Amino acid sequence: MFGYIARRVLMTLPTLLLVAVTVFVLMRLIPGDPVLLMLGDSADAGQIAEARQQLGLDQALPLQFAHWLGRVLQGDFGHSISNGQAVLPLILERFQVSASIVLVAVLIAALIAVPAGLIAAWKQNKPLDVAIVGGATLLLSVPSFWLGLLLLLAFGMKLGWLPVVGYVPLTEDFHQGLLYIVLPIVTLALIETGVLTRMSRASAIEVLRLEYVTHARAKGAPESRVLLRHVLPNAFAPTLTLIGLVLGHLLGGIAVLETVFTLPGLGRLLVDAIFARDYPVVQGVLLFTALIYVLINLLVDLCYPLFDPRVAAQ
Amino acid sequence: MSHHHTVLKAAVACTLAAFASAALAQAPAPLLRLRLNADIRSTDPGVNRDFNTDVVVLHMVEGLVGMREDTTPGPLLASKIETSKDGKTYTFKLRDGVTFHNGAPLTADDVVWSWKRYLAPATQWRCLPDFDGRGIAKVTGVSAPDAKTVVFTLEKPTALFLTTMARIDCGGSAIVHRASVGADGKWIAPIGTGPFKFGEWKRGQYVELQRFPAYASRSEPMDGMTGGKKAEVERLRFLVIPDEAAAKAALLSNGIDLLTDIGVAQLGDLNGQPNVTIEKATTASVSAILIQTRDPLLKDVRIRRALALAVDTPELVRGVTNALARPNNSMIPVVSPYYSAAQAVGFKNDIAQAKKLLAEAGYTGQPIKMLTNKRYIASYDTAVLAQAFAARAGIKIDIEVLDWATQLDRYTKGDYQTQAFVYSPRLDPSLSFEMVTGPKASQPRKVWDNPEVQAKLVESMEITDKAKRQAVLDDMHKRMLDEVPLIPLYNGLQFVAANKRVQGLRTWPAEVPRLWNVRLR
Repeated sequence: MFGYIARRVLMTLPTLLLVAVTVFVLMRLIPGDPVLLMLGDSADAGQIAEARQQLGLDQALPLQFAHWLGRVLQGDFGHSISNGQAVLPLILERFQVSASIVLVAVLIAALIAVPAGLIAAWKQNKPLDVAIVGGATLLLSVPSFWLGLLLLLAFGMKLGWLPVVGYVPLTEDFHQGLLYIVLPIVTLALIETGVLTRMSRASAIEVLRLEYVTHARAKGAPESRVLLRHVLPNAFAPTLTLIGLVLGHLLGGIAVLETVFTLPGLGRLLVDAIFARDYPVVQGVLLFTALIYVLINLLVDLCYPLFDPRVAAQ
Repeated sequence: MSHHHTVLKAAVACTLAAFASAALAQAPAPLLRLRLNADIRSTDPGVNRDFNTDVVVLHMVEGLVGMREDTTPGPLLASKIETSKDGKTYTFKLRDGVTFHNGAPLTADDVVWSWKRYLAPATQWRCLPDFDGRGIAKVTGVSAPDAKTVVFTLEKPTALFLTTMARIDCGGSAIVHRASVGADGKWIAPIGTGPFKFGEWKRGQYVELQRFPAYASRSEPMDGMTGGKKAEVERLRFLVIPDEAAAKAALLSNGIDLLTDIGVAQLGDLNGQPNVTIEKATTASVSAILIQTRDPLLKDVRIRRALALAVDTPELVRGVTNALARPNNSMIPVVSPYYSAAQAVGFKNDIAQAKKLLAEAGYTGQPIKMLTNKRYIASYDTAVLAQAFAARAGIKIDIEVLDWATQLDRYTKGDYQTQAFVYSPRLDPSLSFEMVTGPKASQPRKVWDNPEVQAKLVESMEITDKAKRQAVLDDMHKRMLDEVPLIPLYNGLQFVAANKRVQGLRTWPAEVPRLWNVRLR
C-alpha cells in the first residue's frame, strides 16, 4: 500500500513540471505587461525598464523560469508583482476560504444526491424518477452566478436575513462567519446536487440490472436490503470518482461565486492575478491547484477498494 | 420564601444591568463603509499605486500642497509658499500644531527625509521622473534651514512644480514619519498627518481607517484636498466588492453606505430608490479616439479629418453617456479654468466634406481596426457608435475587443490603427497635452508627434502668466483640430450613490472621494 502511494506521488512530479512549464509559457504569451498595469498610461520607457529590472522581468525567459522553479522547490513561490505579498501564504490563506465552502457544499450535495439518485433509479420511469431527474437537470442547467445572485437578492436584500457583502473567517467568529458562507454553500450545493444526482442514478440503474440483484430479490430479501446492501456499494464507486473530480475542480477556485459573494477565495485570486498579469501568483495558484487535483484523485483511488474489492486485488 | 424572591430578583436585575452596560460600552463606533472594486496595491503613497490605492491612502497622508477644486495647487501642510524671482527656489513654511499619527510633531526634517526617500530610485516613486530632470523639473536640493522651513531648489524654473507636487497619483507627495519604514528600508504602514490613520488591511476583503483625534485642520473651508477637514466618523471601511451587482445589492440592503464608481448603465436601478441619493460630477478624464499617425493609411491627414468629420461628437456622447456628459473636443477638461471659448471650438459633423476628403485621399473602403475593451464599458460603446458614424461617410471600421491589459500594452507600443481610450485625469492643461504629444521614436504611446507642438508644450509649462499660457494652449488646440492625431470626445462623469444617512459628501473633478466632513445621520 505504501509502495503504491509512493509510486503515485512520484508519478505526480512530471505532471506538476508540465503544468509549471505550460503555465509559465502561456502567461508570457498573453499580451499585456504587469509593469504597465502598475504604472498606468503615463509611464515612460525609462520607468517601465526600471520597474521590469527590479521585478526581474528583464531577464531571459528560461532564466526567469529556472529561478522561479528553483525557489518553488525550496517552498518559496515568490512575491506578488501587484502588492509584494509572499505568494504561498497568500494562496494558503485564500485556499482556506474556498475549501471551507467547497468541502461543505460537496458533502451536502453528496448526502442529497446519492440517495436521490438511488431512489430515482429504483423508481425508474415513475413520476418520482421524473421529478428527481427534472429537478437535477434544472439545477445543473442553472448558471451558478445567476442562482447566487438570486439567493443574494432574496435572502440578503429582500428578507435581510443574511449579509450581502463581506466575509468573516470561521476561526475568528464562528457564528458571524457562518452567516457569510451560508449562501455560497447553498448555491454550490444545489448546483452540484444536480450533477451528482444524474451520475448516481445512472450507475444505480446499471447495477439494478445485474443478476445478483435479481438473485437477491428472488431470495426474498427486503427491497431496502437489496438497495442498501447490494446496489448502493456497487453503484457508489463511479459517483465517488465524480465527487473526486468535482472536488478537485472546485477546490481550484470557484471564481464566479467568490466574485458574487465577495469572498476572498482562491478563484478570485487567480482571476484578479490574470487580469493584473501577476505572473508569480498565477503560476503559484495553478501549480497549487494541480497538486490539489492530483492529491484528491489519489485519495479517491485509495478509497475505491472500499466499494469495489476487485480494484484492491488488482 | 419572599426574602429569597427579593434576592433573586435583585440578582437578575443586576445581571441584566451588567449585560446592558457591557453591551453599551461595546457598542460599535460609527462606521462609514464604501466600496472598492479591487483591493489596494499598497499603503505607500505614490509607490505601487492605482486609483483605489490613492483613494484610501490620501485619507491618511498629506503633502506640502494639495489639489484644490479648481485644479490649482493650494497650501496644505505649508502655511506659506514663497517663490524666488528666478523661479528656481521654493520656500515652504510649515503650519504650527501639526502632528503625525504617532504623536510626533511635523518638522522640516521630516519633509526632507520624505523627499529624499521619494527621490531615491530604490523607492520606485511614480513621480520620480517628474522631479529628477526627466520630466517637468529637476530638484537639485531639499534642505531645512530651521525646524519650520523647507527649501527646494530646482535646476530650471517651471510653472508645474507645485501642481505636480499636488498630483494625486504622486500620493500628493505626502510627508510621512520615518517610522513608516522599517530599519531594513521596507515599507511598514503610513504614519501620516491626515484626518484618518491606518487601522487594518485585510487583503482581498477591506481596509479600515480610524479617526485621528489630534488632527490639526486648516481653518478655511474644504477645497479639494486642501482646506478644513474633520473626521466626523470613527472608522472608514473600504470593502473590496468586485461585482457591480453585488455592490448595488450591498448599498440597497445597507451593507455599505457609499458607491463611488457607478456606471451610467447602473444608474437606472438606483434612481428613485427611497433611501439612496445620487450625486454627479464632471471629472478631468478624457475619452477619445486615438489615431496612429504612423499607420500607412492613417498618416494621410485627410483620412483623419474625414473620420473626425464623420463622427458626430454630440450624438456619440449623448448615446454613450445617456446625455449626461458634455461633448468636448479639447484635451483640456471643461472643468479646468483654462477651458476657454477657443477650447470649446470642436469638430463639425459634415458627412459630405468627409466623403470629399476620402475621395481626395484615394480611400476605397480599406478596413480600419479600432481597439476597445469591455472593462470600461463606455470605451466599448464609443467604438460601436464611432463605427456606425464612420460608416455613414463610407469609412469601414472593424472593432477588436481586447482585455484591458492587452489594450494598454498595445497603446504603450503604439501598436494600433485607432482605439477608443480613456486618459486618466490630469489636473493641469499642460499635463493634459503632455499625455498625447511627444516624440514617437522614444515614446511610442504618444499620438501627436509634432516638434513645433512639443516646443509649445514646453513653453506652456514654463510660462506662469495665465493669459500668455492660455494663448499658447489655445494655439495647441487649434493645431490639434487641424492635424487630428486624436478625437477627444468628452470628459468623464462620476456618479456617487449614497445611503440617505450620509451627509456632507461632495463630489469634485478629481474623482477621489473625500470622506472627511462626512457624517452619518
